Amino acid sequence: MAANLLEVNNLKTYFFTRSGVVKAVDDVSFTMKPGETLGVVGESGCGKSVTALSVIRLVANPPGKIVGGEINFNGENILEKNQEEMTELRGSKISMIFQDPMTSLNPVFNVGYQIAETVKRHRKDVSSDQAWKRAVEMLDLVRIPDARRRAKNYPHEFSGGMRQRVMIAIALACNPQLLIADEPTTALDVTIQAQVLELMKGLSHEFGTAVMLITHDLGVVAGTCQQVNVMYAGGIIESAPVKQIFESPAHPYTVGLLQSIPRLDDQHGSKLTPIPGQPPDLLNPPAGCPYAARCPKVQSRCRQEKPRLMPVGRGEQVAACFYPN
Amino acid sequence: MVQFLVKRFIGLIFVIICVTFITFILGFKAPGDPIRALLGQHFDPQTYAQLKHQYGLDLPWYQQYYNYITGLFRLNFGYSIHYQGESVWDILKAGVPVSTELGFWGLILTIVIGIPTGIFSALKANTWVDTLNMGTALILYALPSFVLAVFLQLLIVWVDKWTGIEWPVSNWGNPWQYTLTDIQYKLGPILVYSAVSFAYFARLARTTMLEVLRQDYVRTARAKGLLERVVVYRHALRNALIPLVTVIGLSIGFLVVGVFFIEQIFNIPGIGTTALEAISNRDYPVIQATTVLGAVAVVFGNLIADILYSVVDPRIKAE
Amino acid sequence: MDTADKNPEFSSPEITPPAAAPSPLQTNIVIESENVLAAPGSPEEQQQQPEKTPTPFQDSLRKLRRDKRAIASAVIILLFVILPIIGPPIYQHIGDIYNSPTSGSINAAVYHSPFHTELTRQDEGPSAQYWLGTDAIGRDLLARMLQGMLISLIVAVSVEIVNVVLGIGIGVLAGFFGGWIDQLLARFTDVMFAFPGLLFAILITGIFGTAADTAFSNVPLIGANGNARLIIVSLALAMTTWPLMARFVRGQTLQLKEQQFIEAARTSGTSNKQIIIRHIIPNLFSIVIVAATLDISGTIIGEAGLSFLGLGVQSPGSSIGLMINDARNLIDTHPWEILLPSIVLTLIVLAFSFLGDGLRDAFDPRAKD
Repeated sequence: MAANLLEVNNLKTYFFTRSGVVKAVDDVSFTMKPGETLGVVGESGCGKSVTALSVIRLVANPPGKIVGGEINFNGENILEKNQEEMTELRGSKISMIFQDPMTSLNPVFNVGYQIAETVKRHRKDVSSDQAWKRAVEMLDLVRIPDARRRAKNYPHEFSGGMRQRVMIAIALACNPQLLIADEPTTALDVTIQAQVLELMKGLSHEFGTAVMLITHDLGVVAGTCQQVNVMYAGGIIESAPVKQIFESPAHPYTVGLLQSIPRLDDQHGSKLTPIPGQPPDLLNPPAGCPYAARCPKVQSRCRQEKPRLMPVGRGEQVAACFYPN
Repeated sequence: MVQFLVKRFIGLIFVIICVTFITFILGFKAPGDPIRALLGQHFDPQTYAQLKHQYGLDLPWYQQYYNYITGLFRLNFGYSIHYQGESVWDILKAGVPVSTELGFWGLILTIVIGIPTGIFSALKANTWVDTLNMGTALILYALPSFVLAVFLQLLIVWVDKWTGIEWPVSNWGNPWQYTLTDIQYKLGPILVYSAVSFAYFARLARTTMLEVLRQDYVRTARAKGLLERVVVYRHALRNALIPLVTVIGLSIGFLVVGVFFIEQIFNIPGIGTTALEAISNRDYPVIQATTVLGAVAVVFGNLIADILYSVVDPRIKAE
Repeated sequence: MDTADKNPEFSSPEITPPAAAPSPLQTNIVIESENVLAAPGSPEEQQQQPEKTPTPFQDSLRKLRRDKRAIASAVIILLFVILPIIGPPIYQHIGDIYNSPTSGSINAAVYHSPFHTELTRQDEGPSAQYWLGTDAIGRDLLARMLQGMLISLIVAVSVEIVNVVLGIGIGVLAGFFGGWIDQLLARFTDVMFAFPGLLFAILITGIFGTAADTAFSNVPLIGANGNARLIIVSLALAMTTWPLMARFVRGQTLQLKEQQFIEAARTSGTSNKQIIIRHIIPNLFSIVIVAATLDISGTIIGEAGLSFLGLGVQSPGSSIGLMINDARNLIDTHPWEILLPSIVLTLIVLAFSFLGDGLRDAFDPRAKD
């Protein structure tokens, strides 16, 4: 078995605010293999974005801070690196793309420049001309038509979907080993969404790039990921290969999530079942399982003890529940 | 871009026409009869009519206005009433280089001191450096220029009393020349003159920079692994400068007004002093001329700012 | 927040905070309960009532109260308003009879007046008789100072009233209806921009100043003593500032107009006039207050500046700007005479600026902590 590309152990990222300490990511552990596509799913505020930002160490500080754990990338604990060492990693070994393509590109530079800039930053041996050529290459790769001419265009001359492709081009320009994509298609139309996801999938296959895909949309995960982490209230509550998540979800939350989405093969007239209640307050999380207040299967043990990820008896599938499905 | 500039230019012509018209009407409707004031108590109707004709004041108002406008193009602002026979331009001529020098350096200082201070404050937001800068800026910004000048002069006088170091508090030295004495004369007024403006720019630069640093594309730049100083000075700064450039155009307006006060307090022989003198002498042609000059300077400054803006912001450039 | 999270000790509105240190959320509930004016009701009722959140206005007031600079400024401004009104009558009653070589026996009402010149007592420093000293022609500096502050106050208030009324009036119409009103306003402001700041005021006061003096000298209270110019000065300043306010209000109206609650009002049949009066103007209120406060400093500086240039209040009247100009040549011999009005002017302007800033921060919906 290939060694793990990324190993996150007991990661804790807290936000120190005037109202108190928000435990946005509280003891999260997972691994990623080279070339693997991992989906990180959960509702708003569950900590998935903060986890991603922690891996690339772009958490806004103040008020956020990684207070514990380790993040091993290629065997090295990157939490021990200083910011300057991190700038070596970012863009070249670990890249990230963000949710809103309309504001993620700098309006005063043309797109070719913004791609070439990454190349020149990380490959000192490359000349300006070569960097520009690479930029055009990348635009071609992400299927921007007429790449050579459009490289000189400014971001405002592109549509949302195309801007996201430009972002992908920037992120992959130096052939990183890990691409973190934080809700890359949420702001796009559904048809464009599909195109962009297809593109990411294809490129990741072609270049062997591992992808951490963050989303709240289970449908997105189904088509693209091999492994899925489900997060809730700052922790991972289930982790399994994608097929198992959909066919035999273990944690009641995952079950609830799946039940609340409409499916093509649902019976006509059947109702959607939303999950009642709200996620817990991260300023003051309750003792015990964070899902206890909303869980239909809750028992007294759940309110007192916080369950850790445990195997549920179906291969690699693990869930943080005392009474999984 | 050309379309944008042409539109602006036409707008500005319209503004100048309005300004000249208003100034003209004010002069026309001004109370008091300048010819009579000139001639004093006793005069005969013939001399009166003669003078009136000489100054063209017996023509209907639209004709007077027409003459005025056409005269402007030839830099003919008419003739002074108070200084009989002298053309207005001759009177103003001496003051123009002085006032422009004052304005020029004032603007330069404003940009060169104000903007970097603001940016620096933004980068060190909420530290003592920031508080100090913004505190000083706030005070300088709120103080009227003549009060600031007063404090400066008091300081100079005080320093003189205690250390015997002399420093001139009035007059200007030679326009556009920079010997040591020239610099001594000019430093105080220029500093006071630009103080208000540069405080404003410092505050604005800080707010703009902070706003820009919060943008998504700055986060993207960091995610690309660019060094922090590249992120700040290449990505953030360029964007922050865009609104600042437009404001430069606006501030020219304040500079023009500031000229009056600074020249008065420091006894600088520029256009402002001439204008104030003309006001107390009821010398309308001179007053009109100064106003028109001032308005033209403002309009011109705005045009330059617009040009700069269209150069700096590619969203305009490409149109 | 569902009811299961509520503090079970919570029972009546007159509750004292629980002995154990509550979490921030629970303290909130307790504090809010003290504001509940309705009948207490049973404990169960209390538990089912959602927490009462303060209105945005109350929120802003609370933020304002916490801003110490703004509070200090408000105090200074209060002084600025009260002193010139009640100061002179009081001051003119304090002091013994003085034997003046030039005017005979005079009482405090005379020698503490801002117009009385006591030529044997020129350029004096503060003393028991003249609390802040005298100026170059023997006038009581404190009296002149108070008079000057009164002038500034009158001008500032009248200009701001015109500013707000015209600004809101025309600005709302321009923003709401657009069309020719809007175009006219735009052209107007463009031209006013070319006459930067005080230039126009300088022009107006310069040209029409002395005529105004004679024309208005019969107006009571402000007419005599060189103060007739005030009307012209106020007019000139108002003319240069209202277009900016109107533009500002127009911009805000445009934004408000697009908001959904206006659409909702329209679909429920509210007439334009009602929409403007009941929805737009109240929402503009806080923004206009902030703009007006920040504007007042400009007006005060403007009036002082005009007087300084000799275009505003004339002797024997008194204005802060005039006092500064009068003392200009005495900087090296009697610095106190120019220092006094300068410091007072600075304090007033700073106070309005800080208060304006504080108001803006308090009312800014984006500055949540």
